[in-house]
This record gives sequence, C-alpha cells and structure tokens, in this order.
Amino acid sequence: MGAGEKSSAPISMVVLMRRKQLIHVSSKKSSLNKSRFGALPWIAPVIVMIVVMVLYPAYEMIRTSFHDVDQTGFMKKWNGLTNYRVLFKNPDLIPVMTRTLLWVVVIVLATVLISLPVAQILHSKFPGRKFVRYAIIVPWAASVVMTATSWRWILDSFYGILNTLCLDLHIIKEPIDWLGNTTQSFIWLMVVAVFVSVPFTAYVILAGLTTVPEDILEAATVDGATGFQRYRTIIFPLLRPALLVSTVINLINVFNSFPIIWVITGGGPGYATDTTTTLAYKLSFRDQNIGASASMATINFMIILLFIMAFLKVSKWKEASE
Amino acid sequence: MKASSTKRTIALALAAALAGSVSISMNVAAHAATVDLKMVAADYPGDGKTQQAQWDALSAAFHAANPGITMTVNVVSWDTIDDKVKTLIATGQTPDIVNKGDYSAPAAAGLLYKASEMVSASTLADIIPTFLNNSKYNGTAYAVPDLASARALFFNKDILTKAGITKLPTTWGELYSVLTTIKKKVPGVYPYALPLGPEEAQAEFSIWAGGNGGRLYDYTTGKWTLNSKANVEASTFIKKLVDNKLTEPNPAKCDRTACAQTLFAAGKAAFINGSVFLGSWLKANGGDKLNVGTGSFVHNTGQKAVTLGVQDYFTAYKANGHQAEIQKFMDFLYQPANYAAFLKAAGGFIPATKSAGAVAAKDPALAPFIALLPNAIFYPGDIATWNAVKGAIQQSVGLISSNPTKTLADLQAKAEAAKG
Repeated sequence: MGAGEKSSAPISMVVLMRRKQLIHVSSKKSSLNKSRFGALPWIAPVIVMIVVMVLYPAYEMIRTSFHDVDQTGFMKKWNGLTNYRVLFKNPDLIPVMTRTLLWVVVIVLATVLISLPVAQILHSKFPGRKFVRYAIIVPWAASVVMTATSWRWILDSFYGILNTLCLDLHIIKEPIDWLGNTTQSFIWLMVVAVFVSVPFTAYVILAGLTTVPEDILEAATVDGATGFQRYRTIIFPLLRPALLVSTVINLINVFNSFPIIWVITGGGPGYATDTTTTLAYKLSFRDQNIGASASMATINFMIILLFIMAFLKVSKWKEASE
Repeated sequence: MKASSTKRTIALALAAALAGSVSISMNVAAHAATVDLKMVAADYPGDGKTQQAQWDALSAAFHAANPGITMTVNVVSWDTIDDKVKTLIATGQTPDIVNKGDYSAPAAAGLLYKASEMVSASTLADIIPTFLNNSKYNGTAYAVPDLASARALFFNKDILTKAGITKLPTTWGELYSVLTTIKKKVPGVYPYALPLGPEEAQAEFSIWAGGNGGRLYDYTTGKWTLNSKANVEASTFIKKLVDNKLTEPNPAKCDRTACAQTLFAAGKAAFINGSVFLGSWLKANGGDKLNVGTGSFVHNTGQKAVTLGVQDYFTAYKANGHQAEIQKFMDFLYQPANYAAFLKAAGGFIPATKSAGAVAAKDPALAPFIALLPNAIFYPGDIATWNAVKGAIQQSVGLISSNPTKTLADLQAKAEAAKG
C-alpha cells in the first residue's frame, strides 16, 4: 500500500489540480447568476423538507428521551436522565451494542470487498453488459422488505427453496433450519444485508472507474505495467473518493438497517439477533417503554452524527468549500 | 429578469396555496353537520377473507339508519394493531372506537369512556357477567367484550390411529409417552407443535403454566409471579419435550399462524394447543381434509385441567367527545342480527352476549368450548402493565426451551420494573 501511494502521488495531484480548475470555473459561473436571495429560492424546498422531516422529529425524539411517557404515548413530565438510566440497566443493551458494531463492520467491509471486483466486471466491455448492469440494479431497486421476505422464505426450514435445492443436489441429507441457531441466523442476516448493499456500492465504484483517465492507463501499459500493477498504482488510488463516499453511506445505511432483521428473525429469539435500531423499536412497542426507546434512538442518532462528522473530516469539506 | 420570474413564481405559488386553504375550509364547513366516527378493528381470521367487507356493510347500514353519523372502520392485522393504535394516539389522531385484545393501559391513563357510557343499559345487561368482569379497571368496566375464545387440545386423528393410540392423554406424563410413541411409529411428523414465537407465546406459556396451577399474576399479593415454582416446573417440562425432539425444532422462532398451525394444517404435527376458531382456520388454510379431534388440554398430575380463556374488547376513547354517537353505534352493533354477522365474519368464536350465547350453546362446534369456560383462566388483562408484560413474554419466553430458570427470572425482573 505504502509504495502504491507514493508512486501514485503525481497522478492524483494532476487530478486534484484539474478538479480545482473545475471548481474555480463553476464558482465563477454561479457568481454571475447571483440574485438578491442567492441560491435560496432553489434550495428553500429542501431546507423546508429537512426542517420538517428531519430536524423537528429529531428534536421531538430528544425531548421525549428526557420525559416521562406513559404506555399509551402521552408525555407526562420532565424526568431528566431517568430514561437513560433505565436503558443502561437493560441487561440486553451491551450484547446488542457489541452485535451492532460487528454488524456494521462486517457488512460494510464485505460489501466493499465484493463490490470492487463486481464494479470491475461491469466496467469491462463484454456482450450483454447492459443487461448485466440492469440485473444488478434489481436487488437495490426492490423494496428491502420485499427482498427480506423472499430471503426469509428461501431459508425456511419446512418450505424453503434452499433446502429443496441442497436436498436435490444431495449436498445435505435432511432439511436444515438455516435460521435455527442464533449465530447461524445472524450470519444469514449479514449475507442478506451484503446482498442488498452491493449494487449501490458497485455503482458508486463503477462511477469512480469511469473517471480514471484512459491515457494514463495506456501510458502505464506502454511502460510495461502489468494489469495488477495498473490496478494497484493507478486505478485503486483514484477510486478512493468513490470508496469513501460508498463506505460512509453504507455505514449509515447498515447501522440504520431495520427491515432485514425485523422481517427475517424479528431480532429473536429473545434479543439474540437485535441491533440497536431494532432494540429501540422493541423497547417502544413490546416493552411499552417509549421513554427508554427514545433514549436508545437518541444514542443511535448521536452515533450517526459521529459517522457523518468523521466523513466530513476525512473528505476535508472545509478545504473544498474555501 | 431572473428575479422578476422568481417573484412571479412565488406569487403564483402563494395564490395556489390560498385557493387550496379556502377550499379546505369550505370542506370543513360542509361536513360540520355530520359526525365522523372512526374505528380501528383487528382482523379476526374468519374464513380467510378480511373483515373489512362486514364492517363496511355494517357502517353503511348504520349510516342509513343515522344519516347524521358517518362511520369509517379501518381493519388492521393483529400483528400491527397495537403499534397502529399507539401511533394514532401519540400523533393526536385518536380513533373513537378500537377493537382489540387489551384495554387496561388506556383505562389507567384515563383515556376511555366507561362501559356504561359506551353502550345503553339494556345492551350492558345482555353482556355475559364473567366477560364484563374481566373488563374492569379498579372496579369499573372500561371496555365492552366483543367475543371470547377458549383453548383445547387439537389432534390429528389419522396420525394417532397410525401410532396405535386409542386413549387421549390428559396428564403431562400421558402426553409424554404418547408423543414418544408417535415419534417412533410415525416418522416425518412432529408429535407436538409448540408455538413459542413472538406472535402468541404468552398463550402457550399461560396454558402450560395453568395446567400446573401456575399463574402470571397473584391478585392477593398484587405481584407478578412469572418465575413461580409452578411456572418454572411447567417450563422445564416444555424444555424436556423440546430436548427429546417431540416438538418442531427451534420453537422459540415458531409463530402460531405461520409455523405451528400451518404445520398442523399440512398434517405434519399430531397435537396442537388450538383456539376455538382453529377449525374454521384449518378449512380456509389447506387443512380442510384433515381428520381433527379435540379434547381438554393436558395438566400435571394432581392439578386441575384448565383452559385458557381469551377475550377481546371494544374500547371507546374520549379524545373526540363523540360519546352519544359511539353509544348509538355500539348499540346498533349489539343488535342480535348485526352481532351475529360480526361473529360470523370473525369466524367461530364464543359470543359475549347472553342472547347470542344461548344460540351458540346449541352449535355442536362451539358447545364443547363453552362447556370448558367454567375452568378457564384469563390473562391478567385488568392490570395496567399487562401490555408491557405481555410484550416482554412474547419476546423472550421462547428461550425457556433452552434455559427455563434464567428466562423466567429475567422476565420477572422486567415485569416488576414495567411502568404503567
């Protein structure tokens, strides 16, 4: 990696310089169009949407987490940190948090590792490429609930097609309950989550691949670089922005992932396959403790904020906006 | 140029918005003369169709008789109705009437009309006293029972014949040896379908515990008794069944409808603890050719046989102040013909009124269940935290199949900490 970074430095600097020029040009253009309100009329609908759909609910959620809420959903009075104390006393919290960490790290890593070659295949020219590209969009375009429901029945021990397949191919002797034990079902949940995340990630990387300048690759080939060398020293370093974007968006998506777990195992048995997101739901709708649920959701919100801040820091947003 | 076109756009948008608000306020004025009653109802299994058609027909008939009141009934699946009602209340869209399985939490929060405000005195007098008694909070009825069910031990006669079993088991010990025989003689069949998945785990647990004299709540001490000695013993017996593979594998993830009843309907399970409506459910779900028998549920030696009685409720919320209209509708609903239509659409339940009960007692499918009712135990539905405790039980009680003592101790701690 270290050597690769060094040798790629000039190339990425070229790209950076080009980018700066582009930014420069486009900012000149926009300053010509400046009216009294600046860009406000154009972004106002989005701002309104963010305030109404994101900021207000977030405010309500945080407020709820500091209030005593009865089972029927009525807010009674301010009760400070009581909800948080109740939440931290919950014996299932620590296992669920650990599991969430595992959930996020494994899925995001696996997704990126699988998406890199997938994107490479989609980028290379072959007959029927268009069809393959469309086919890969399907799991992404389909509703996650739908995908998860399909998987739940694929994996069903009595009627599942996976069992039928494996039995017919004589891979197994008797039906297996794929979601039977906790570890096994959690692995399957992660498989489904990766399956759902790969298309988006592959497409972001594919977009990154199209920005790799052909002439540099050609020059490298002329200089005698092997395919692997080109990938390691030219393509991969240039993919870093795409990788960064897809990783952070995946981190957030996977962390917030609710339908896969809910549809396939319901977080059960007990709390054995819950993440913090499904736990927040269960606290509210099973344990009827809306306050503790809001505390859990607030903590989740804070974790997401951390992700986003890390993202902005890594992508050096301050420099870019100057 | 740009600025002026922006202005024009804004002006246009404002004008459109104004026009919109005027038409909305006119709509409100037009509707002021009538009252819109909103109801959310759980969907009973019936004959495989939703109950929406029955409720729509009833609403139309009610509107024809009372032109000043329109009635909208929203039928919701049992899976989601608790979440739905809770969300409606929390977001200020409280319905007028709700038909589902609990009432104590909103009663404790002071959101409900009393039963005596919901229906007229004559309708109230027709409700079977046991059921009305189970609808009380702090001594006052805050709900009107809509119907009830009782449980029995359903069995697949063909499987029993194949296994050469002639005597129906009544005690745990007898059941155990019968199940072992079935396992030996009829391969490919799960001797007992055990639904400990979240959907209705509280029912399965309650009836097994009840057969050992165990209860969920002790009314004399006012305490939850989830991990009482009797309950742990019953759970240990369940674990023994699971460990010896006398049930389907992994009962903790086996939901009642999608798993246990479906296995039974497919002829893949010999015994199941079934509710009064299971017969009609089987007919609608592929078990119509099944040769089914019923008997009273098993109990531990030295204990009494029990059945689990479950009743559901109509509750009326004060939020919209429609007391008079609600009462009109509820009385209309309990008129014998309308109530019979409701029961028919719900699919073979035990009626909650004396008048309909007299008719049902002559029904050969219902009579045995009605006979079981005097020995029925009910959920502690009148305790304010029941809903929270029920949720906790549904979530975790399946784990008794691996560790009864710890599971019940955890649940007990949760129940004691539950807030009203």
